[in-house]
Amino acid sequence: MSAHYDAVIVGGGVMGALVARVLSQAGKSVLILEAGIEGAMNPDTYRQYLQTLYTEGWWRGLPNGPYPWNASAPSPGIPSPPNGAAYPYYQYATNLHFLSDYLRMLGGTTLHWQGTSMRLVPNDFRMRSAYGQAENWPITYDDLEPAYRRAEAELGVSADVEDQRIFGVWFPEGYVYPMHRMPQSRVDRFFDGALQGKTVKLAGGTYPLKVISIPVARNSTPNPTYNLGEGYDAVPAASDRDQGQRCQGNSVCMPICPVQAKYTALKTIALLARQPTVVIRTQSVASKLLIDKESGRITGVEYKRYDKPGSPTFALETAHGTLVVLAANAIENATLLLASNAANSSGQVGRNLMDHPYLYVWGLAKSRVFPFRGPDTTSGVESLRDGQFRKVHASFRASLSNWGWSGEPGNTIKTLLQANIYGKALRAQLADQMTRMVKIGFMFEQLPSADNRVTIDQRYRDGLGNYRPVLSYQYQDYSLKGIEAAVNTVWPAITGYAGIENKTSYPAGAPGYQHVAYNGAGYNLMGSGHIVGTHRMGSHRKDSVTDRNMKSWDHPNLYVVGTGNQVTIGTANPTLTGAALSIRAADAMLQDLR
Amino acid sequence: MSWTIASLRQHLQAALAVEHATIPPYFTAWISIKDNTNIAAAEIIRSVMLEEMLHLTLAANLLNAVGGTPSLTHQGFVPRYPHRLPFSGDRFDIDIERFSKRALRTFLAIERPEGPRAKPEAKKFHTIAQFYAAVRDGIDELCERHGERKVFTGKAARQIRPDAYYGAGTIVVVAGRDSAHRAIAEVCEQGEGVHDSVFDADHNVTGSGKEPAHYYRFQQLLKGREYRKGDTPKAGPTGARIEVDFRAVHPITPNARATDYPKGSPIRGALEAFGHGYGQLLASLEGAYNGAPDRLTEAIARMFALRDQARALMQTPSGDGRNTVGLDFTPPRAG
Repeated sequence: MSAHYDAVIVGGGVMGALVARVLSQAGKSVLILEAGIEGAMNPDTYRQYLQTLYTEGWWRGLPNGPYPWNASAPSPGIPSPPNGAAYPYYQYATNLHFLSDYLRMLGGTTLHWQGTSMRLVPNDFRMRSAYGQAENWPITYDDLEPAYRRAEAELGVSADVEDQRIFGVWFPEGYVYPMHRMPQSRVDRFFDGALQGKTVKLAGGTYPLKVISIPVARNSTPNPTYNLGEGYDAVPAASDRDQGQRCQGNSVCMPICPVQAKYTALKTIALLARQPTVVIRTQSVASKLLIDKESGRITGVEYKRYDKPGSPTFALETAHGTLVVLAANAIENATLLLASNAANSSGQVGRNLMDHPYLYVWGLAKSRVFPFRGPDTTSGVESLRDGQFRKVHASFRASLSNWGWSGEPGNTIKTLLQANIYGKALRAQLADQMTRMVKIGFMFEQLPSADNRVTIDQRYRDGLGNYRPVLSYQYQDYSLKGIEAAVNTVWPAITGYAGIENKTSYPAGAPGYQHVAYNGAGYNLMGSGHIVGTHRMGSHRKDSVTDRNMKSWDHPNLYVVGTGNQVTIGTANPTLTGAALSIRAADAMLQDLR
Repeated sequence: MSWTIASLRQHLQAALAVEHATIPPYFTAWISIKDNTNIAAAEIIRSVMLEEMLHLTLAANLLNAVGGTPSLTHQGFVPRYPHRLPFSGDRFDIDIERFSKRALRTFLAIERPEGPRAKPEAKKFHTIAQFYAAVRDGIDELCERHGERKVFTGKAARQIRPDAYYGAGTIVVVAGRDSAHRAIAEVCEQGEGVHDSVFDADHNVTGSGKEPAHYYRFQQLLKGREYRKGDTPKAGPTGARIEVDFRAVHPITPNARATDYPKGSPIRGALEAFGHGYGQLLASLEGAYNGAPDRLTEAIARMFALRDQARALMQTPSGDGRNTVGLDFTPPRAG
């Protein structure tokens, strides 16, 4: 007879780990089923992935390239042998592709994330009421605020409260983030200085161009006044207490921080591993939820346990829990629900897939700004994340890159060599150009759409016979108009104020980008890795998959956690919001388990 | 001997010197290990070195607490290697040398635990633990004679606090007799272990799992095996095997000196730049220990720069046909 747990959690990434943490701290027994391998949890293997990044990252692709292909639990964005196709896992049902990936390995996608951890702004939760767009969430910013604080403690967020009080984002009296904000780079100070008091016109309104620091789950200096003077202990590397207590400015960050100053779920899992009531089972791919027809209860989670990654053989086992929690990423949660014919009385499972379409602009500053040092980004132009223009087009944030242009110094060296510039002249020109490179990454809001979705199809299976996600994806006019505003209005304003020579161009066919034509112009878009919305929460069972506590409307003991619950994507990088939602859901689970 | 405040301060300044003197040899052995080899050895040496940095800082907190003025930049603070470590019973010299069995034996000698019956002696200390035990007794004696408030007269603002310091172990803010005892206990337990145990006491303080004390941590590398819970000093380590490859090490010149190379030569210039950088690091630390704790940030940046300079020096042929250049930590003379 197999063991019975208070909760069976599908997915050993940040969302599952946080749910397990809340439950186990209350003494509940938890089984985590992780589809991928233990991988980076082993310090030697972590180091090996870092080496792969250094030596082969340039061709394997980022951010998932350093990690190994696993046919038993494949991840998008990892080149598969023998032909190395970049996205061998997704199947596409549309001409346009969904360009964001995630990692199926213990620790999940936090093994490659950037760490950016800002909150959504209040209007993101009420887009219908505020701007007549999309839908309202069943909860408000005020409802989620306490869970945001707990997520900031678990992830170890470095930020400045004063900077973050924008668009009605509020904090309780006296709250400070666990750690001080990251020191601002020279690039940040250059933009901040140039844009002080400057504005831009969008959809008939005037908006400031204001640079502020970015909250990030990376160890900076702990704030001694945190938690009423208790302070905060920066969490070191999962396997080495002498590493990673502070960011060292290695300037690798993404995908892999060499010292683990950046949060990964490995840190939370290392804490869980000491809890006697927590069992973590890797190489165990949940393939089906077993449902009692009468009560709708999930009676078990069928999973395929494989010994050797890539081998087609597996043992079929069933895990039993009072509660079942899906925490396997928005796309995997949807795929598993569809494969189980579960939780879908609304027909919304898999729909409303969202990401932030990502667009670079770049140029040369007149004076030296000394990029290529520090974390990849420490500030942004955050003043266009909300406003009346959202009645017309997408809001966006502008992330200031500390790492100059992409593909450098290779591209500039190549160009100079082709112009027969060698020796001292080459060095002088390189020094002149590299030190003046500026780049901004724009991230655009996308609205929920029933047609942007995850489906499954009998024909498309992985190495163990599980369904691969079949994706349909489009950019709506709402986002494209926002892109137009950023490129035609905001970027020219910034280059004008800051004296930047614009060097941006979007040639069709550039590798790694999706070229999209709109109103006679073309844009080279990427994904942001912000996978959101496939099992939206709501106030009514007819148009949502989960309720305000992320419990399935259809199954009384099934929770579906993480960013898939988001009704809208807003402009915040979603992990922190997903973490806050998961913590909120875990509180509701504890009520059920009473 | 009868303690005075002045002699207590002198002893604590000597503690700064002795804690510091171990850092250049540990740093050198660590950096001499080639990239991606001897990973366990590199981690062990680095972890001990980080704890010596903590001890240096604890010594500064102790000295500041009793109204002293930590000095790290005076002539001779960086010893000339080979160096006979104070309070070691004059038994051995420390060299600046590559990671090797010989270096490990020296490290074991540095970190040798005190015998159970070793008592603090009046003048001569055979181990660093004896020395600290004497300092602790001195503090007690002075507190009893003058009262705690007359001994701990230092300004609180001169203490290095946990928000300014990070690294192995726990920084202790010293404000009186109890916290002074805790700071000394932290130094002695990390270094030499508790009583008859292989493991240090950090797990009690930080909850971060047991780690063998320095002596046993190094000993694992000579024995090629890890200590695990339940192992005793007598029986030795019975845990997992540790692979050590003494050949995967840069063949650096021991106790190199900038002055060994002709004036104006690139190697001389690079070694002098390294010594200069080391002097600047000590100046930043001295500043941090004298009322400007924020200068630790500047010190950390200098440490990274020194690491990169050291790696470059260790991969530069010395010209003797066999070795590469070593390290010379001597800062240039002032003026």
